Amino acid sequence: MNRWIKFLLAILVGLTLGLVYGWAVSPVEYVDTSPDTLREDYRADYVLMVAEIHHHDHDLDQAARRLAMLGSQPPVQVAAAALDYGLSAGYPPLDIALLQELATDLQAWDPSAPGGQP
Amino acid sequence: MSSENGTSDKRGPWYLIFGLAIGIGLGLLIAWAFIPVTYVNTSPRSLRADFKDSYRVLIASAYTANGDLGRAQARLDLLGDEDPAAALADQALLLADVGDPEGAAFSLAALAGALGVTVDLQLPGDDAAGDPDSTGSGRPTATRRPTVTPTPLFTSTPRPTRTSTPTPGAAFALVFQEEICNLDLAPGLLQIEVRDAASQPVAGVEILITWEGHEERIFTGLKPELGNGYADFDMDPELVYSLQFADGGPPTANLSASLCTVDGESFWGGLRLVFSQP
Repeated sequence: MNRWIKFLLAILVGLTLGLVYGWAVSPVEYVDTSPDTLREDYRADYVLMVAEIHHHDHDLDQAARRLAMLGSQPPVQVAAAALDYGLSAGYPPLDIALLQELATDLQAWDPSAPGGQP
Repeated sequence: MSSENGTSDKRGPWYLIFGLAIGIGLGLLIAWAFIPVTYVNTSPRSLRADFKDSYRVLIASAYTANGDLGRAQARLDLLGDEDPAAALADQALLLADVGDPEGAAFSLAALAGALGVTVDLQLPGDDAAGDPDSTGSGRPTATRRPTVTPTPLFTSTPRPTRTSTPTPGAAFALVFQEEICNLDLAPGLLQIEVRDAASQPVAGVEILITWEGHEERIFTGLKPELGNGYADFDMDPELVYSLQFADGGPPTANLSASLCTVDGESFWGGLRLVFSQP
């Protein structure tokens, strides 16, 4: 076999080894992530916590600020996504009701109004 | 030929090793720099320290709201703290040290207390902080209680039950019922509207629908574009259904699709029910 072919084959083998090592064996580790990278179930539980607190204190501004940690989506969309996940994952009815309450209240939320009330 | 083989033998396999090294280098460059593994499905354990602090505050506030210690513990486990109670106590003390601008120190202390670490919080401005009889520097302190049984230091009143009905009051009663003959709607569509005593739509009301040994729970407000008090259910035209609100009230029985005839065309229509609090 031509030496050049062997040389290129060696590069390919090395490339494969490098990719396997870099992607699978020792991938880049993210240890300082932000909440917007959380997996869907953790995001839903995060929103559920906000919903539990909101049910207790009815502070929509605070709830919206907390949901803003999950990304640039409008808070009502974040809550609606969590509600969808909760329904698909079989959350207990009481948790669904809390998420529903938060999503419903956020629909009427006016960030410019004092206290966020419409 | 013999001279080429002789040259190859002299060079040995170094060109292969060199090629392998180039390949590995390229692979690592691609894997670590150009197309690194992207983390979009991380866990709370990998959060940055300040985000973990916020997460801890959220857990503690949720515990204050619902009194569910088991759930709070499960959530704390996600953060991967070696000693979750100590982490809560430390954070409560740090916040108290700076005047607790978020008002979260007491929630953190309450949860730490429920997990067995007593936190003696004295915020700046507290009378106790300036008490000349008090010992020490006046700084808040945390001590681990020797008792095994955790007891909340600051008792949040756990709700024995949580109702899914946002507006508590009298049971909802059927005030209006009509057959819907509309070809644009799904056959057998059961449309429900729930209103409070002021005729305002009520979201989050749980409704139980039963038929022939089966049941399904639906909630109002899941289709807000149709109204916060709206819920619907697809009835099988061959079956008869019964409906009841989860928080009580009399059942509404004998619900079924109605046979409609429009312009000589027969099809299964639906039902529209309106419930209201008296």
